[in-house]
Amino acid sequence: MTPLLGVLVSEAWVFYPLAVLTVGGALAMLLSRNPIYAAMSLVLTFFGLAGLYVLLSAELIAALQIIVYAGAIMVLFLFVVMLLNLGDADLEMPRLSVGTIVGGGSALAFWCVSWMVFQHLPEAMPATLPEGFGQVASVGRLLFTQFILPFEATSILLLAAIVGAVVVAKAKI
Amino acid sequence: MNPQSLHWIILLPLIGAAINGLLGKRIGRGNVHLVALGAIFGAFVVSAAALWNVSFGGAEKISQLWWHWFTIGSVPVEMALSVDRLSATLICVVTGVGFLIHLFSTEYMSHDEGYWRYFAYLNLFVAAMATLVLGSNLLVMFVGWEGVGLASYLLIGFWYTDEEKAYAGRKAFVVNRIGDFGFLLGIFALVALFGTIDFAELQTAAATLIPSAVLQGGVFAGWTVTAALTLACLLLFVGATGKSAQIPLYVWLPDAMAGPTPVSALIHAATMVTAGVYMIARLSFLYVYAPGAMATVAVVGAATAVFAALMAYAQNDIKKVLAYSTVSQLGFMFIGVGVGAWWAAIYHLVTHAFFKACLFLGAGSVMHGMKDQTDIRLFGGLRKEMWHTWATFGISTIAITGVIPLSGFFSKDAILHAAHANPNLWFSWVPTVTYVLGLIAALSTSFYMWRMFNLTFNGERRGMKEHHAHESGPAMTGPLWILSGLAVGAAVWGLPLASGARFERFLHGVFAPAEANLRRVTELAARELGVAVPPAPGHDLAAMLPGYLIALVVALVGFGIAWYLYLGPGKGKSALIAEKAPGLHAAFANKFYVDEFYDSVVVRPLKGFARVLWQVVDSFAIDRLLVNGTAVLSGWVAQLFRYFQDGNVQRYAVVMAVSAVAVLWVFLF
Amino acid sequence: MATVPLAHYLALASALFAVGLAAVLVRRSALVVFMGVELMLNAANLTFLSFSRAHGAQEGHAIAFFVIAVAAAEAAIGLAIMIAVFRSRKTVNVDEVDALKY
Repeated sequence: MTPLLGVLVSEAWVFYPLAVLTVGGALAMLLSRNPIYAAMSLVLTFFGLAGLYVLLSAELIAALQIIVYAGAIMVLFLFVVMLLNLGDADLEMPRLSVGTIVGGGSALAFWCVSWMVFQHLPEAMPATLPEGFGQVASVGRLLFTQFILPFEATSILLLAAIVGAVVVAKAKI
Repeated sequence: MNPQSLHWIILLPLIGAAINGLLGKRIGRGNVHLVALGAIFGAFVVSAAALWNVSFGGAEKISQLWWHWFTIGSVPVEMALSVDRLSATLICVVTGVGFLIHLFSTEYMSHDEGYWRYFAYLNLFVAAMATLVLGSNLLVMFVGWEGVGLASYLLIGFWYTDEEKAYAGRKAFVVNRIGDFGFLLGIFALVALFGTIDFAELQTAAATLIPSAVLQGGVFAGWTVTAALTLACLLLFVGATGKSAQIPLYVWLPDAMAGPTPVSALIHAATMVTAGVYMIARLSFLYVYAPGAMATVAVVGAATAVFAALMAYAQNDIKKVLAYSTVSQLGFMFIGVGVGAWWAAIYHLVTHAFFKACLFLGAGSVMHGMKDQTDIRLFGGLRKEMWHTWATFGISTIAITGVIPLSGFFSKDAILHAAHANPNLWFSWVPTVTYVLGLIAALSTSFYMWRMFNLTFNGERRGMKEHHAHESGPAMTGPLWILSGLAVGAAVWGLPLASGARFERFLHGVFAPAEANLRRVTELAARELGVAVPPAPGHDLAAMLPGYLIALVVALVGFGIAWYLYLGPGKGKSALIAEKAPGLHAAFANKFYVDEFYDSVVVRPLKGFARVLWQVVDSFAIDRLLVNGTAVLSGWVAQLFRYFQDGNVQRYAVVMAVSAVAVLWVFLF
Repeated sequence: MATVPLAHYLALASALFAVGLAAVLVRRSALVVFMGVELMLNAANLTFLSFSRAHGAQEGHAIAFFVIAVAAAEAAIGLAIMIAVFRSRKTVNVDEVDALKY
């Protein structure tokens, strides 16, 4: 049972609409001609995903999803569109060629093949979860103890990314 | 003498060869001579000590295990040397005569630029020959066998810038190789039969063989002992025909005269060519079990003796006559080992070494005095100008033709006597045939040797009339006198005494196992055939006297004919004979066209086959089709694949995605 | 009152992954290709979190955290490269950036 807008509803009522929203946004991104439309569709997808994360009791990650992905990364994308002045003409739609068909077909094939995995999964999610599951405190505790090395390494990675992005994108070094 | 010092006989010449070969050019002619002569002299001293030791010292045999070489399967192969009276005799001859020839060479080769190379090769030869003689198993002997073949090739083709001389060396090596192949197969057969290559072990195993027993397992399963041993012995004999120049592999020896004359003296007269005889004598205890092989040896030897002697009739090159003479005399030695008179064959080997070396060195002296000319038709009257050479050459000629009281008479006659006196239960015609052929060969030997002597030394000069031949210096005439002295003095070992000749008794211990085996085999065969056991040949002079007289008469007849045709009233008759029967004369002069026959039957097909292999298989199939073809194919395939690299990264991603899905599919299914 | 089975979450995640893959393989604008990559990363995140919920283990959350951080860094660099390429080629069409051909 999940509270939605103060009313207790079964999860399915939240999941399927969110799922449709997410996939719809993704497909819109795939199919739209305008770069701004594509970016905004992707933002919609990210919001849908954030909702799904909340449904999965991953509240910290949901928050981070919105802050970082929808808030920072997509904004970056939009800045680039603005910087390069990309319009409709720059986003030519794909021609119907062998590569296109094979590419699309392989993506579809992948989805179908993945169905085979789902045969062997347990029916339902467990009803109860550990105390503080998915909350900031417990995930943070995990990050600072078990995953401290990746944590620090990630900070260095971000530093490298910053420096690298500045160097690569500069007009004159 | 310390038994552990046998290896110095091999090492000293080897070190001498190394020093002369590597540093010879820089250390000067005198030092090169010193090193070479010193090495051989040292080897001779050790050999003499070994001979003294086995003759008068305690042991009949000295053995030295130099080092363990390898083990193959269950057969250990050791670098082991041993000396008994047989090998001691031989090694003393090799090093002693070798020393004299080295001495001769110091003057003979004094004008040659490559003297350091010459002495290095000569020392190398002595080292290899020592390995051959001293080896106490078949494989060490084979190492020496190959080594002397190598040294022979290097020395025959010494003046390699001359194409013909180089080809002569190559011919010698190739023909020898054919023989060596037979030798190797023989060794393999013996290993298959006895599981060992050591002579002592073979001798022990052979003492208890039953000739008619059928072998159970191994390669020769189902064969009788006699049949298997006959095969092995025949294969070994093929090797002997190659090295010792018998029919059919003698063709390299006349061509080998392209090398320097002292080389011919040492290698192709005194030592290397006797290796085959030595090998069969060494394995005498095995050969007696194979009467077929022994008969083959005897008959081939006799046939070669006659055939070569006939070829010498019409030769005009002084060295060629001596070459054919060597082939013929080797035939005599093989008659000796073939009829079971091993001591006689070895005795003839020793005396032949002396007088043939003396003859060859004498020929070298003649050539030295006549500006390297070899055609005896141009010689004549050299007696007046080269007295020492004339005298020593004459003494050696008397020895080779077998005239009392020189050693050649006793050795040749010992063989001829054994040829007709030793009984042969299996091939009753062998004694008669070998004796008759031997006599014909002896007659021919006398004739062509005296012909050559008369044409060279006696009479008047026919060609190069303005040239005054000078006698050679002491370094050359000294060895000549020593060798002719030995040719005379060696007779004392062969005098037929009541208890057998001195040399026969000397070598009795070496050949006792063979004789014991022969007696056993003869008794078994006599029982089977239902005849009486033939008595062993005796030593009484009465039985041998007729043979002596016949041999003497034969020698004198040959002398007489030669005198008549070339010095006496019959001068010019020889030319008449040549005119009246041109075909016959051509056959004799062209060595019965044997070389031409081999050329058309063996050499040409081989060359054609090689050409096919070269042009079709190697040049076309392997080079063009396979090697270049692979490269071209790679190029085509690469051209095909390069179209995948179009720079479009998205295309690459598509391929990756398809592959990933496929792999996923495979894993999930 | 039924909870949504794990299989459905995963089906959704793989669907999103497939759409992202299609965007990478089919679209010719570099910008949309990058968006497809981001979408694929998000699909992976969803998978991680679904399993985390199914097993009651929070390691999935930590991993999702790092995925987000790395995705951010990668997007920054990728877009910087795209800008640099645009500067010399005046286009973001991936078909026209084929200098590494045979």
